[in-house]
Amino acid sequence: MKKTLTALIALGLSATVALADYPEKPVEVIVGYSAGGGTDIMARTVAQFLEQELGDGASVVVKNMPGAGGQIGFTEVATAAPDGYTLGTFNLPAALALTHDREADYDVNSYTYLANFVEDPNTITVAASSPFQTLGELLEAAQADPGAITVGLSSLGGNDHFSANMMQAASGAEFTLVPFKGASNARTAIMGGHVAAGTMTLGQTTSFPDELRVLAVLADERSPFRPDVPTAKELGFDVQMSSLRGIVAPAGMDPALADQLRAALSAVNENPEFQAMMAEQGNPIAFMLGEDFAATAAKQDGVAANIWEETPWK
Amino acid sequence: MYADLLNALPNVFAWTNFAAVIIGVIAGIVVGAMPGLSATMAISVLVPFTFGLEPLVALGLMAGIYNGAMYGGAIPAVLLRIPGTPAAVATTFDGYPMAQKGEGGFALQVAVVSSALGGIASAFALMLLAPPLSRVTLLFGPSEVFWVAVFGLASIIFLLGGNPIKGLISACFGVFVSVIGSDPIYGNDRFTFGQLEMLDGINIVILLVGLYALPPVIDLLETPLKTDGVNSSKLGTESIWKALPRMKGFGMTWLRGSFIGIWIGILPGAGGSMAAFMSYNEARRTSKTPETWGEGEPEGVAAAEVANNADTASALIPALTLGIPGTAVAAVMLGGLLVHGLQPGPMLFRDNPDIVFGFMWQFLFGAILLVLLGGSLATNSFARLLNLPRPLLGSVIIVLMLIGVYSIHGRMFDVYLMLGFGAIGWVMDRLKFPLPPVVLGLILGGFAEENLRLALRIGRGDPMVLFQNTTSLILVALTIAVIVGPTLKKRFVDGRKKA
Repeated sequence: MKKTLTALIALGLSATVALADYPEKPVEVIVGYSAGGGTDIMARTVAQFLEQELGDGASVVVKNMPGAGGQIGFTEVATAAPDGYTLGTFNLPAALALTHDREADYDVNSYTYLANFVEDPNTITVAASSPFQTLGELLEAAQADPGAITVGLSSLGGNDHFSANMMQAASGAEFTLVPFKGASNARTAIMGGHVAAGTMTLGQTTSFPDELRVLAVLADERSPFRPDVPTAKELGFDVQMSSLRGIVAPAGMDPALADQLRAALSAVNENPEFQAMMAEQGNPIAFMLGEDFAATAAKQDGVAANIWEETPWK
Repeated sequence: MYADLLNALPNVFAWTNFAAVIIGVIAGIVVGAMPGLSATMAISVLVPFTFGLEPLVALGLMAGIYNGAMYGGAIPAVLLRIPGTPAAVATTFDGYPMAQKGEGGFALQVAVVSSALGGIASAFALMLLAPPLSRVTLLFGPSEVFWVAVFGLASIIFLLGGNPIKGLISACFGVFVSVIGSDPIYGNDRFTFGQLEMLDGINIVILLVGLYALPPVIDLLETPLKTDGVNSSKLGTESIWKALPRMKGFGMTWLRGSFIGIWIGILPGAGGSMAAFMSYNEARRTSKTPETWGEGEPEGVAAAEVANNADTASALIPALTLGIPGTAVAAVMLGGLLVHGLQPGPMLFRDNPDIVFGFMWQFLFGAILLVLLGGSLATNSFARLLNLPRPLLGSVIIVLMLIGVYSIHGRMFDVYLMLGFGAIGWVMDRLKFPLPPVVLGLILGGFAEENLRLALRIGRGDPMVLFQNTTSLILVALTIAVIVGPTLKKRFVDGRKKA
């Protein structure tokens, strides 16, 4: 007994000693998108505060590896050494959705889930000038003439697309899905009346209060940003979908190191200055640590796999 | 609203904010002048560094770089027939022949004055008309944008050059390149050969550098070693004030080019190169002496340069009001705004008028500064650089090309791709295939495909959706007019001669 205890203490000590050295060299955060995008800005904001938390003149460097819808960056993280010197931003459901519709060198189990920072729920949104005042009216029209309601998405195989699909399944309505190149193009098409509705995230709607009407939020609870908008669940359709952005590391990381990073990221999240910066950038924070984050990733992966199986989009 | 505009002015003159614009313009000219380095890249590299800066310092730098780079691209276009940026392709048509005739200095002065005027017109459009013009953008859905692309393709038929068959083959090659990558709707891979790097399609800068910069560089390297610069020794630089009177006949071209540039800018996706091509074409079409175009007509340089600067600020109209960037540069600038918590949309104008309108003023001053900084300082020093022995100059440019292309995504794959396009470009150049149709095919081909497919999806497969509203019908009419117009006019003139 005494021996084991000593051994445990020794192990604990050696672990602390090893971790006390971390980080010995710059920590890279891989971003699968170009500099200046939403994910990149989040990564740089987190990096800036993470440097302070890791202390000792630690340096956290953001490295952009754009291409193939983020896949090049996600792959880079998944295949890196889990030594704490390569971290990456992780976008859900996009990162895992693309493992279903094309060949990818990683899957949901290729990562150590550290912390999620942002969660932006999807919505059902129409133009302010639209004749549809409620979700019910919109769905009625879509049921009456299947396919007559066009729904603008930011792309196929993303959270916008899954939202529309899940809404169809829950209501029995049938939409015509129109995948634009990016969320802002979809939003402009809605505002210009070129498509009837959209499933953009709530964050995408906030700058256009007079131009857009949000009919429902696809979340468990009403958003604190728009407490006036009902959830789809309240209206009788149990649909939840959102876009998440967090930080992951390669799978197989030393649990002590993972915990040290999680603690540092928690401290980042608790920093009021960080919270203020994220709010200014329009990022709704939904902080999730380790297990919770991993569970959400697995759930989103399941949704994507299901939809891919039932209605493959390519 | 106009009160906000005036209130924003004093802050713009804070010395840090103004210095940012000056530094930006100089940096922009340098970046634009180097083949492979573009304003998009310079600004995206800059964005992460602007975290700690005051918003107007950061935005001033960006506004300066954007304006500077659009002119900087003209410098190698005129002196070496290498467009420094995609938008400067049309500048080579007459700029390079002028340089060969020993009028390179004048060509650069025409370019700088035209660029500045285009930039000023565009800045005014942004300042005074942003909200109403954003409503115009809303009118353009997929079917309308599709017709804009068709109109663009039709109106630049002249680019096919002396041999229309070769021109069409070039254009088809460009359209083919636009097909590479994942398709715009379903994301199926096309011609990617399993390479992840090709899923996003071929970046225009990679194609441009390979196609346009490599063949002239090979020419440079082939030239026997002589120590006198052929072009720059006969640059014929004179004071800009002496050069101005020679430009007094360009009024209409400047006006038309500004209008075209502003209009193309507010439409999503097309960008400066299309504006420059269309402006050049229109100016040539209405010229009294169209036969001198392509042989070193200063007005051709004016037409191209005024238009590619006139789309700069106007591309920010849909970007600031709707969040949709008209050009790749505007897309990166949106990121720069986001860093400072400035979310695009109508709320931006209500919540942060001092910054938005300050940014617009910075665009205006950036354009004005071009004349001072670009006219004397940059033009002269760059001309000196080109005095280097030609093979040495060629080697320097090759290094710049490699660095520029590598830094787009930070990968060697793009460099090999560029060299591959360079080999194709060299062969095409030798076989006298025109190169501009390739660039346009790439830009407009992808644009047309994406929007046609979106429109058909919205119409549930019924092609009549393409003709269902006034905007579309106007564009169809314009397209037809552009195609049959010249033939009808010729018949009419011939008929009158006979009578």
